[in-house]
Amino acid sequence: MSAAPTTPRKPAKYESATPLQTPHTTRVATTTNIIQSSPHYATTRRHSLYGTEDRIIIDPGSRVWKVGFSGEGKPRDVFLAGGKSGQPLWTLNRAISPREKEEEDRLLDARLQQTLRHVFHNSLLTDPKSRKVIVIEHPLLPLHIKEAVARILFNNLQVPSISFASGHLLALLAAGRVTGLVLDTGHLESIVLPIYSSRPLFPHLRASPLAGARLSSHLRALLLMFGTYHPPPENLSHAQTPSFSRATRVPEEILTDLVIEDLKTRCCFVGEALDSDIKSAFPAVLPSGAPSETTPSDVGRSESDYTQSETSASQQGAPPSSEFSVVSHSNIPSNLDRPKPGESHLQALASLYQRHSTASDLHIRVVPPPSQQHGSGRGTLVIPGWIRERAAEVLFEGGDVDESSVAEVILDSLLRVPVDLRKSLASSILVIGGTPMLPGFIPRLHAELLRILNRSTSSSPAPGASGRRGRPRSVVYDRYTALRPLSTYIAILNNPLPPPPASSRAAQNAGKAPAFTPACLAWVGGSLAGALKTGGAEVAREKWDEADAADADADEAMDTSPPVTPRAVVRSILPDWTRTALPVGAPPAKPPPPAAPLPGADVAVDAA
Amino acid sequence: MSPTLEYYCPCQSSTPHPPQPNLPSSSYSFHALHNLYFCEECDAIRCNHCVMVEVSGYYCPNCLFEVPSASVRAEKNRCRSCARNCFMCPCCSNTLTVVPSDPPDDGDGRPPPIISATGEPPFFLYCNHCRWDSAEVGITFEKPTGLAAQLQKFEDSAPEALEFERLKEHFEPYLRASPSTSGHGLGHSHSTHINPITAAASSALARDIPGVARYTPHISARSRSGRDKNSNRHEVPDYRARVEIGSTGLNLGGGAESDVDFVRHLETVEEMATLEQRWGNSWIISPRASDLKPVRIPLHSKKSKRCPSCRHILIKPEQKAQSVRYKIKLVAANYLPAISISLPHMQAALAMLRRSGRAGAEPQDGTMLAGKTYPFHLSFTNPLYDPIQVRLHVQRALPPTSPNAPPDAEKARRPPFAVTLPSAAFPIAAFAEAWEYDDDEDMFGIDDDDFDGRGGGGAGRDARGKSRTVGVLERRANVTVVGGEVMISKEARGDVKFNMLVSYTYRSDDPDPADELGTPSRTQAQNRQPEMKTFSFYTVVDLGTIIVRDASGNDTE
Repeated sequence: MSAAPTTPRKPAKYESATPLQTPHTTRVATTTNIIQSSPHYATTRRHSLYGTEDRIIIDPGSRVWKVGFSGEGKPRDVFLAGGKSGQPLWTLNRAISPREKEEEDRLLDARLQQTLRHVFHNSLLTDPKSRKVIVIEHPLLPLHIKEAVARILFNNLQVPSISFASGHLLALLAAGRVTGLVLDTGHLESIVLPIYSSRPLFPHLRASPLAGARLSSHLRALLLMFGTYHPPPENLSHAQTPSFSRATRVPEEILTDLVIEDLKTRCCFVGEALDSDIKSAFPAVLPSGAPSETTPSDVGRSESDYTQSETSASQQGAPPSSEFSVVSHSNIPSNLDRPKPGESHLQALASLYQRHSTASDLHIRVVPPPSQQHGSGRGTLVIPGWIRERAAEVLFEGGDVDESSVAEVILDSLLRVPVDLRKSLASSILVIGGTPMLPGFIPRLHAELLRILNRSTSSSPAPGASGRRGRPRSVVYDRYTALRPLSTYIAILNNPLPPPPASSRAAQNAGKAPAFTPACLAWVGGSLAGALKTGGAEVAREKWDEADAADADADEAMDTSPPVTPRAVVRSILPDWTRTALPVGAPPAKPPPPAAPLPGADVAVDAA
Repeated sequence: MSPTLEYYCPCQSSTPHPPQPNLPSSSYSFHALHNLYFCEECDAIRCNHCVMVEVSGYYCPNCLFEVPSASVRAEKNRCRSCARNCFMCPCCSNTLTVVPSDPPDDGDGRPPPIISATGEPPFFLYCNHCRWDSAEVGITFEKPTGLAAQLQKFEDSAPEALEFERLKEHFEPYLRASPSTSGHGLGHSHSTHINPITAAASSALARDIPGVARYTPHISARSRSGRDKNSNRHEVPDYRARVEIGSTGLNLGGGAESDVDFVRHLETVEEMATLEQRWGNSWIISPRASDLKPVRIPLHSKKSKRCPSCRHILIKPEQKAQSVRYKIKLVAANYLPAISISLPHMQAALAMLRRSGRAGAEPQDGTMLAGKTYPFHLSFTNPLYDPIQVRLHVQRALPPTSPNAPPDAEKARRPPFAVTLPSAAFPIAAFAEAWEYDDDEDMFGIDDDDFDGRGGGGAGRDARGKSRTVGVLERRANVTVVGGEVMISKEARGDVKFNMLVSYTYRSDDPDPADELGTPSRTQAQNRQPEMKTFSFYTVVDLGTIIVRDASGNDTE
């Protein structure tokens, strides 16, 4: 790990092809020769009054898309790509059998096409043929999706050119920086990417599946277990006296994705970490001590984790669970794909949280499930205050090697970064994405970072992951030892409530970012890049068409080959950091880059 | 759920054959007839997923004011929303109205001296539906007109716009140097003209050691002057935000701590703005529903549509926003026979329901049971001025992607039902305006009789038994009804959905220019007069879901 500094750390693409560029141009490369050589561009350039020079910035997520024009401070439109159902366009999983995969690709294509056409024709009301496009990409965006986006933009919408720019880097630009450690907690994944001097250090990227989707499933599980539901009154005369006697457990059907999303965005917040004395009273429910046991929504845990969680739960969880005898437990196993969690443990946790939460319970009107339509009006869902406050704990309770908490994933990445950069990166952490929009998320993240770094080694039990994997360790192992001295430097750029800085460096940075929302930072950065006429290596349509034609030729020439081969041709047109940039035949300057990113990507995929 | 029939547009796939109808992706390839266009040049169906869309005009959907496209483009930020008085309520997205404030009450009971026609300033926006008003959030207007222009001042000074400009200024000098350095065909990993040896060598040379001062040798050599003021590792000087998130967190109305507290003590969820109301804001604002600002009504556009391959215009609306007519309208409904499908047994069940007075109930009884045979009716309506001959085929074999699939999977994918359609071609009479004026009651009367009779008997209306369920059942005007039959196997599950190829033969163009001129290309064809042409298209027929026998309590008939 510490050997990292001696290896060249730039993306290979940069090394080979851009020896003369400014450091800034790695991903947000300037538009370079294509623009200047294209007479078309030169002619349109004069008409900047008409805004044709404004590029279109698309920030596509698996769920939420933000689109708009460059040079503007906020996106024109933000919408759910999956339509009203809120179904994500893609997930971390792909079908295994080739036939299903093919079908999945077709579905993705069709839905992407629909969404992209919607962007141009309904959101932006502009002619795609005259607009260059910057697509904000996320470093672990699967290539087939990127390719599909490009294919649709070029073939169906016929845009003149596309640039792909890293969302992390753009967000950093929007925060006015070129160096920083960017955490993007979106729907599917939390990804940390260190960026130094506007160069993304892709090999040091770390990812964790603890993100919005996990929060949703956790919230759903908590509500199924601890929420209450009052069906709509049988007739209107009883409407005044809500039938609280008829309180039932929450039927699963009412917790649709949209309801959950609404609850997440309107009810949930992140409370402060519980004090250490409280935690010591309940050592086993300590987030650090028993990390993933608290997540009934976890689907990817290994066998050993279960047994461990069961035992730890049975050891200590018995007494407080009596408070929850009302709640029927039978609802949890009804989830087929969900492993049976340590329920008594959950009860203990619930009572702990409940005791220390002052958040109000909320009553929410929900559409009753179709099976129980006999009442009139809407049912009422009661959300305990502690769920509102503590649902997001799941994001801060890592421990599994594959599922680091959002704080751990930052530190993991920091561990991989060359030592000389650590100080500057640790003092300029930027948090972006939709999930950090939860009130209190960023201050809590800061507190968690400090808590992990300042945790005294003596009292803490082996912090999960590394010790648990395979060989049980008796020695106290702290993988963050190397980072301990950094704790005074930790500063989150867009922390709305920076704690008193511990060092001058932190004071310079904490909370100094402009007050853009974390969710829009990447888009604003894209808009900025577009306005500055930069924004990633550009792929012009002519290039694409050439490749497409070659692809077609290849297709005809060797029709027997599976469709992988022709696709590869098209793919090579799209720049991506996971591809080696060295032309064929060149002596490799270092081990091929794809090797480095892929484990990370695989981990993320497997863990989901 | 009534049976449906949709038309296939081949734009999504490379083969002319439609995908298997049971694949979820196939729904994107099939469209209702009224959503389709027809390109005469290409002689092909076009759909909304493949046509090229061009904006032919912008208008405000609320006041129907046409916005010239030049001004839409020129005014960067404020285009795409109505520039007049149209605003939307942030809570219920109803249109807001401008209302004057109450006249000042002097206390002496006499009416105020000046009563202008427009009322007293300050004016504010008011929602007639949810009673939201803009005075609550401190937005009032001096004049009741041109509200957008009055609000513009606020929008121009919106914090995100100012911050954005500042960021731009900050990075501009830094980037200005870049184009000069990058004009050498760099930055393209795929550019092949770089000698591989050179590339490797230069990359080795350019390999930098992080944290060491000379970590970007080529940069410092090239454009040091631009940004060398700051000699530490940041070559860009630190950006000082106009509004720093940390310093303003509390008094921005939505700082984290206050937000957390606010959310912690929420009384009802309505106090919190929904995600849709907030997510377009790039600037941190208060999440309270009470702080929402009025929303400008975004413009709509009139779109003209072109064929993707020949670029001919398929749809061209009239320019005026108030007009709903089209200058050019090549819709598929004018070219393809309209097909509607019905299940007689379901009609019967519906009729029964109606008779028994349970009209509101779900027509569950109309669904199909496994192991039974059901007739269905396809009614074809000819939009052409010429009679056509129609021939139907069920797409039985799978498209040629199948050969590399294992045979057992092949078998599993075979539909668990068999469809019988009339195999012979059947005629449909030409469309004539006169039909339009025919007594409609008559036609509907026939329909009703037809279905009622069929539902009761379960067989042909002329009582010739089973043989008449398949074949032409009825011909009138430009409508022909044919019957088909679907036999569902015992262990069938899922939907009865199949692809049907419809080919129809028509006489080539009716006022054929070849008749008069005899263009060289047409003459030899013209010899065999009249020239017949065939057009084929695929449809998907969805008859409904198969109910496993034990699952449904009551029988259909």
